[in-house]
Amino acid sequence: MTTAKQRSLKQWSRVGLAMMLAACAGESRPGSADSAVASAAALADQPLVRDAWVRPADSGAMSAAYFVLHGGQDSLELVGAATPVARAAEVHESMQHDGMMHMQPRPAIALAPGDSLVFAPGGLHLMLIDLLRPLSEGDTVPLVLRTARGDSLQVAAPVRRP
Amino acid sequence: MAACSSAPSFEGVAIDPPRDMPAFTFVAPDSARVVLGPEAGRPMVLFFGYTNCPDVCPTTMADWTRVKTRLGPDAARVRFVFVTVDPDRDTPAVARRYARQFDSTFVGVSGDPATTAAIMQAYGVAAGREELGSAAGYLVSHSSQVFLVNAAGQLVALYPFGTRWEALASDLAQVLEQES
Repeated sequence: MTTAKQRSLKQWSRVGLAMMLAACAGESRPGSADSAVASAAALADQPLVRDAWVRPADSGAMSAAYFVLHGGQDSLELVGAATPVARAAEVHESMQHDGMMHMQPRPAIALAPGDSLVFAPGGLHLMLIDLLRPLSEGDTVPLVLRTARGDSLQVAAPVRRP
Repeated sequence: MAACSSAPSFEGVAIDPPRDMPAFTFVAPDSARVVLGPEAGRPMVLFFGYTNCPDVCPTTMADWTRVKTRLGPDAARVRFVFVTVDPDRDTPAVARRYARQFDSTFVGVSGDPATTAAIMQAYGVAAGREELGSAAGYLVSHSSQVFLVNAAGQLVALYPFGTRWEALASDLAQVLEQES
């Protein structure tokens, strides 16, 4: 098993392509000559954020980040997020009932081992509150997702139109 | 979805018979008047939201940019209008800037309390503040459908959130064809 620190993962994402530039120490798979295979195996075991993107928006306005969070082989609880481009970042969920769209903060979301959470328009999203600078297409936004275990999942999300 | 045989067949939820909608006048930041009512040859697409909305509202507005692209030059005849249901935070300037960030031709309006209440009532739009402890301040729950109003000022179809944008594009093309 890996320690919590080892489980921490840095990952940079591009449109449609998640590139893991730094993986956990001790997670390499001896016997696998193909690094892509080794990476894929590591991805299955480790918490991973991929396909991240952020909406363009004005400075001072709101934006949202979307991604897929793979929980990995252990259970995981997402308990917070941060980004240097906004005053605050909160996990919210848009929910429609009785013809009304409601937005509900989700301060903690638990994932069972092997589960993934899809953040997508009209559902779960990471609300970026009070942007400290404008976000334009082509920019990259660093995001940090925090787990109850104390891990930080880092991702650099491109700004693009949906 | 049933539509009478003489009516256009819409991919959205058809309002049959079409419903005459009252006209509403908003004041733009430059004091110009924006009239949401009948206009020869120019149908109107309406959405009610708020600019602090990070998810559903920008998703809808981004869909409109696809609709506009699909329609090509004919899109110039369509009035795409965002109406805020949160006029306390969204001044006319904020609403206009918000709409224009998606497309320079999109119109964003913010009315006085009476106008806002009246247009929401006419379209059957509800909104409510929700204090949920967010750093964003209060959140606003709101009706999230898009309304299609023909050039005669009649509501002809609506599109619940989640409807494919192609449905609105197809119906708008049909309305534009009839009104050309």
